[in-house]
Amino acid sequence: MTGDTKPINRGGAIADASKVSLGGVTDAMTPDLVRRRDFEAATGPLYADVVRRLVFVVRDLEDAKDIAQETYLRAFEAWDRFDGVDARAWIYTIALRLALNHVRGRRRWFAFMGRHGDRSTASLDPIDLDLWLAMETLDRRTRAALLLSAVDGYTHGEIGLMFGVAEGTVSSWLSRGRAAIRAALTGS
Amino acid sequence: MRSPDSEVDLGLRLSRIVDQLPTAGEPPAYLGHRQRRIAGLSVTSALVLLLISAVGVAAISTVVGTLVIGHPGIENPGEALPNAGLECMSPPEAAQYLAAHGFSSVIWEVQSGDLAQNTDVSTIQSTPPAHGYVVPGAVLEDGKLHVIVDQRVGATGTGKCAHMSMP
Repeated sequence: MTGDTKPINRGGAIADASKVSLGGVTDAMTPDLVRRRDFEAATGPLYADVVRRLVFVVRDLEDAKDIAQETYLRAFEAWDRFDGVDARAWIYTIALRLALNHVRGRRRWFAFMGRHGDRSTASLDPIDLDLWLAMETLDRRTRAALLLSAVDGYTHGEIGLMFGVAEGTVSSWLSRGRAAIRAALTGS
Repeated sequence: MRSPDSEVDLGLRLSRIVDQLPTAGEPPAYLGHRQRRIAGLSVTSALVLLLISAVGVAAISTVVGTLVIGHPGIENPGEALPNAGLECMSPPEAAQYLAAHGFSSVIWEVQSGDLAQNTDVSTIQSTPPAHGYVVPGAVLEDGKLHVIVDQRVGATGTGKCAHMSMP
């Protein structure tokens, strides 16, 4: 234990701001502007967290920024279909699903171009660097699931809904992921 | 190195990592981004159209080539019997030559009729006819050799022996 008592964030709080009332909207605001304002109010504050989580999964800041931009573009286009319950879970789902596909394509391209390297480790302290490097042993999907479970506090069932798989499948991913991390950290 | 002692420990350590990770930028400016997306789509569309055009030209060339040339002639360079001179032989001579070169199963297509009157009758047979101009054929997909014998009135033969008297 580190003694750090920082509470684990939990999705849902932002949902209150997601579908803000249109009361007080002036006649000068077009429906498009209202829509944009609502979207930005609900998802804008999440942007930094989305990028960090994407860096965690794809392990590259530039890729993460690209995916985050695409995430917000798609989310904005799909805003009318958002159910208004949990904006954070909704945006994370779009982002992480994009990340899983995006990374595959980019890795092939960069492998072809001979580009390597991990530009996101510089700011990590040595202890966290161990864990960061241990996470490297996991596939992107397991990393994302572990992130959603251990950091963001989503249940296995909720993560299953995000990835479109059964709850038991997520449990299996996480169990194997934790075992792999332990093995990587202890050298066993 | 230290292994996480518990789920809580792992969560806290991962949270600390995530909090340390760099972040940058702001959400896209949606309206402008939409326009850029359209522009991007145009570039993509152009590339796709270019690719389709290239494939289309290749496909058309292949089809036209097939229509004009048919199967590669057996006497063409790279084929089984380059410059064999079958067109200078009578059908029985050609059959003998082909058998000597391993082509024991030959489809003979005998064309009769009148070239000037545009009458053309084809008969398929497994044995060579007694006379006619041999038109070297091609090996078909089933491995059989297809040879045409032109017996039409007014026919002139083909290749280097065109216009010789009909064998």
